Amino acid sequence: MQKVLTKKSLPQWVKKLLSYTIYTPVEEDDHWNFVATDNPEDINLDYPLTTLSPKKIIFPQREIFLEFCDSTEGNPEVKEVLPAEKSAVIFGVRPCDAKALTFTDKVFGGDFKDIYYWKRRNQTTLVGISCNTPPYTNCFCVSVNGSPYSKEGLDILLTDLGDKYFVETYTKKGEKLLNLAKGLFKSPTAKDKKDLEKIRIDSKKKIKRQIKNIKKIPPKLKEMFDSPFWDEESMSCLRCGICTYLCPTCHCFDINDEITSSSPIKGKRIRTWDTCQFPDFTMHSSGHNPRPDKASRLRQRILHKFLYFVDRYQNYQCTGCGRCISLCPVGIDLLEVLDKVRDYGS
Amino acid sequence: MAEEFEPKIVAFLCKWCSSAGSDLAGVSRMEYPYNVVPITVMCSGSISPLYILSAFSRGADGVLVSGCHPGDCHYIKGNFYARRRIALINKLLDFIGLEPQRFQMSWVSAAEGTKYTEIIKDFVKELKPLGPQTKLGRDL
Amino acid sequence: MVSLEDLKKEAKQILKENKVKYIIGYKKSTNGLMPVPAFIKEPEEVEKLVWDPTCVFNLTRYLVDEKRRKTKEKEPDERPVGLVVKGCDSRAINILLQEKFINREDVYLLGVSCENTGVLDEKKLTKKIKGEKVKKVEFDEKDNFIITTQEGKTKIPAKEILANRCLECKANFPVIYDVLLGEKAKRSIDNPFESIEKIESLSTEERWTFWKKQLDKCIRCYACRSVCPMCYCDECVADTISFAVTADTTAEEKAQKIKWVEKSPVSSENFIYHMVRAIHLAGRCIDCGECERACPLDIPLRFLNRKLEKEAKELFGFEAGFDPDQPSLISCFKDEDPEDFIR
Repeated sequence: MQKVLTKKSLPQWVKKLLSYTIYTPVEEDDHWNFVATDNPEDINLDYPLTTLSPKKIIFPQREIFLEFCDSTEGNPEVKEVLPAEKSAVIFGVRPCDAKALTFTDKVFGGDFKDIYYWKRRNQTTLVGISCNTPPYTNCFCVSVNGSPYSKEGLDILLTDLGDKYFVETYTKKGEKLLNLAKGLFKSPTAKDKKDLEKIRIDSKKKIKRQIKNIKKIPPKLKEMFDSPFWDEESMSCLRCGICTYLCPTCHCFDINDEITSSSPIKGKRIRTWDTCQFPDFTMHSSGHNPRPDKASRLRQRILHKFLYFVDRYQNYQCTGCGRCISLCPVGIDLLEVLDKVRDYGS
Repeated sequence: MAEEFEPKIVAFLCKWCSSAGSDLAGVSRMEYPYNVVPITVMCSGSISPLYILSAFSRGADGVLVSGCHPGDCHYIKGNFYARRRIALINKLLDFIGLEPQRFQMSWVSAAEGTKYTEIIKDFVKELKPLGPQTKLGRDL
Repeated sequence: MVSLEDLKKEAKQILKENKVKYIIGYKKSTNGLMPVPAFIKEPEEVEKLVWDPTCVFNLTRYLVDEKRRKTKEKEPDERPVGLVVKGCDSRAINILLQEKFINREDVYLLGVSCENTGVLDEKKLTKKIKGEKVKKVEFDEKDNFIITTQEGKTKIPAKEILANRCLECKANFPVIYDVLLGEKAKRSIDNPFESIEKIESLSTEERWTFWKKQLDKCIRCYACRSVCPMCYCDECVADTISFAVTADTTAEEKAQKIKWVEKSPVSSENFIYHMVRAIHLAGRCIDCGECERACPLDIPLRFLNRKLEKEAKELFGFEAGFDPDQPSLISCFKDEDPEDFIR
């Protein structure tokens, strides 16, 4: 379905959606973040890129699986905890972040369906915004088969046409949102469609950063497992978790029992994000660590994204958002590393 | 009538002086509030900031650290180290916005059973109006 | 003025003479304004080196990696590592020396003076020039930076774009070095603890609200810990496995290890983590401000460390990083240490 919505009527539309939890990008201190709001005026679609992608809403950093309590009779109580029943709408999702969710869909929706993930995924509607100008200096979505107006993973995509938004819906979930405020949406004119086309062509051109010949990278990586290349490239790595925690596609987690009371024993089983960049991620209980240094951890990050994931799901596990590049405290540049990989030994 | 709030105090007492002082209060049948959970440690100098933070995190309304008077330390100078370290923790707790009354330090010798009871009485009196400590309590 | 050519010349010299294993300095980044760490092994690579007010990183952090690497080598190369150090970085060296983490002969220090100003804050600069692409940043003689963009050169008062730490820096030239480039310019600051006093003047509840809001943002990526040259512990209380497991560690020992900080990024655990870190850095933090810079969520972590720096100075007359021979703050005491807070 294609429609247009004047910018002025955006808050009126949001007003009709107040039965949903509404998330919008908000500027906090010096960065942007998705925050729940009940004020339709708060919706802000003119923003750079949030530090944390909407992954943090669909796959929160902390998920409670169950609560347990020891009892004197020897029958411990275990109570399953599920995400609350509440539909949500996320406004202003960047196409790269939405596409990233289609990757986590594969991971959490294989032979085993992760109920926690899917519950949130299914009750959340994603309203995207096309990137008419790259929101980040290190955007490179086009190089990894993405585009600044990709619809993958989105329910609705808005494109800024100046005083109005061009609205496209791709799913039933998306159409439902439009149907809640039918009167506000008009059919697009021929000019709107022409404008849209022009903006889209321009928007792709504006993306400066790229990886050339990305297809050569996976086979190259296969040969480079034992290469000293990783020692060189990881010299400046600090082994912090920024690149992976902020990555919209990274999905590794840890499960711990966290104790809230010791007598009687009470606690919760909790899933939290984890990252291959931490030394204890692969630590065995024997004390052996198969990935003992930062070289092997950097290698794991790159190989997972550009070799293992490709082998398994026929896609690079990267959507080109550029967060890991811009926010790395020591400026490790994924694109530079990939360039070097491609040209390694030739 | 609503029940009066009874604060929980975790007291880290050094084995040689303060713990003995609290024992003296006990065997002398001195009366003092029951709000204290004493934890005997070898020396006030052996108290890690983590013990204090953990006590708050597991729900203590107040934390007391008590050792021998300066010059009386069984290990000669453990309490001098404690004095420095605790001063810094004290300032930090205050800085992040914990009520300063919630964290206290005292010198109590083995002979000062009365002083120990006075300290606890005062501590409880100061904590009561503050209500439960929820700021640093575990919210898992 | 520090001349980049002099720096390169010196670097080339020591590499040619095989005096150092390699040199850690700054080189141009491929993706942004701020230079990135350069590990230079060959004299020819010296041309990569840069030095300007965008060189913010504290490179002493890499000495921790170097030491870890060295302990694993069978026949370690005993030559020192060359290191470009600014004022604050050199104080970090002093702490590492004081704690005997490194020996003086492990490092060859190429000291660079911050020219009476300091390094700049990328975010402040970006805001100031509103998205223009910066080509070059230079020091100026009189408390200014000269910024070159496509539009041409502009002079921006240093105060407006200096990193916060530099605004409060008391020694913006190296205090320990083998070669010093640039002059030891003294710079006077009215009140080095101004920002801390602002927070102190708030009420207890206001302070709590401030810190709760800030620390609730934490996602525990541990960038603050990773980037810190003083955070070199092999075991950290914040890790799930917070102790060294060896072949002899029994299952019982593992089970009985206390988990001081849970992995959940909730308020209480974030507070414990950050407070433990602050306490552990008391008398050791040299205010390079890297924790705050690295934080992707802009938590003002420097304030926690600065607060304890201020207390160390006021209560115990202690300043970190100026004398490698002084005892560390909490492993010493004076008879006259204040005890008015003790009953």
